[in-house]
Amino acid sequence: MTDPFEVLAQRVAERVLDLIVSALDVNALLDRVDVNGLLDRVDVPALLDRADVNELLDRVDVGALLDRVDVNDLVRRVDVDALVEQTDVGAVIVRSSGGAASEALDAARSQVVGLDQFIDRWVQRGLRRKHPASAGPPALVKGSPAG
Amino acid sequence: MSAGTRADRPVTSQGHYAGSVSRFLAYAVDITASSGVFALALAGISYVVSVVTGNHVSWNKGNIAVAIIFAGWEFVYFAYSWAASGKTFGMAVLGVRVVRADGTAVGPRQAVLRTLAFPLSFLLLGLGFAGILVQREHRALHDLIAGTAVVYAWDARAARLRFLAREAEPAGSRAQPAGDERS
Repeated sequence: MTDPFEVLAQRVAERVLDLIVSALDVNALLDRVDVNGLLDRVDVPALLDRADVNELLDRVDVGALLDRVDVNDLVRRVDVDALVEQTDVGAVIVRSSGGAASEALDAARSQVVGLDQFIDRWVQRGLRRKHPASAGPPALVKGSPAG
Repeated sequence: MSAGTRADRPVTSQGHYAGSVSRFLAYAVDITASSGVFALALAGISYVVSVVTGNHVSWNKGNIAVAIIFAGWEFVYFAYSWAASGKTFGMAVLGVRVVRADGTAVGPRQAVLRTLAFPLSFLLLGLGFAGILVQREHRALHDLIAGTAVVYAWDARAARLRFLAREAEPAGSRAQPAGDERS
């Protein structure tokens, strides 16, 4: 059996502790603490020396991290046209590609592709095809039926 | 930089089945180029023969030997071009190329077969070419025989970027300091 005096002493101590904690203004106490001074006393380089960054990186699963990133969505959200117009990327592209002849060829091909599509549209309409055909061979166009 | 605006628009047909105008123009360029090279070769041979022997050589269009040599040259021109790179000179100009029906690169066998089957599309009153218009995969008779298809090899997206870059370049050039012009 425990000593009744000891039990009483313990209850008194708990009660006193409760009264002290409830009487304390923690915010006011923190206001009096000089955090900058405290941080000045911390030797950050020494702290970093004690941390093994390589081990930390080894514990990061980069593959899983990348799996969570939708790179295609990320690229889709980039307006490449605006990027080319507003940055030096455009000048780099011009320097790395042909000149007037290349420009003329691009323009001519664009016109021809437009004509191809115009004729194809009318032929498909004339043949009353409701379902569009696959755009290209399966190995070249994503979503085309294989075989 | 705005997000999800013009970048959403499809700007390239690369890998899609090529249409009738592209293919016809490519063929026209090929016939012009190959016939021109053949005519130049004949003229060169005539010149060499006249210099060496002193006799003037004239090539008759109705000459069966010339016709056979011309057919052989055309065969080599088309078959070699398709086997080597999947495209002839005309196809390279128009930005199209020949592939197997599944989209993989053609081999020498398909190239030779396609070249041999090509005249058939003409011989059937040109009906062999009707497939380019009405067949779902734009495949002509010689394509169906050889197991090939013609697709756009031209990257319209890259061309569009080049176009935009050229438009943007004058503004960039103006922004350069005058001192840079000396370098």
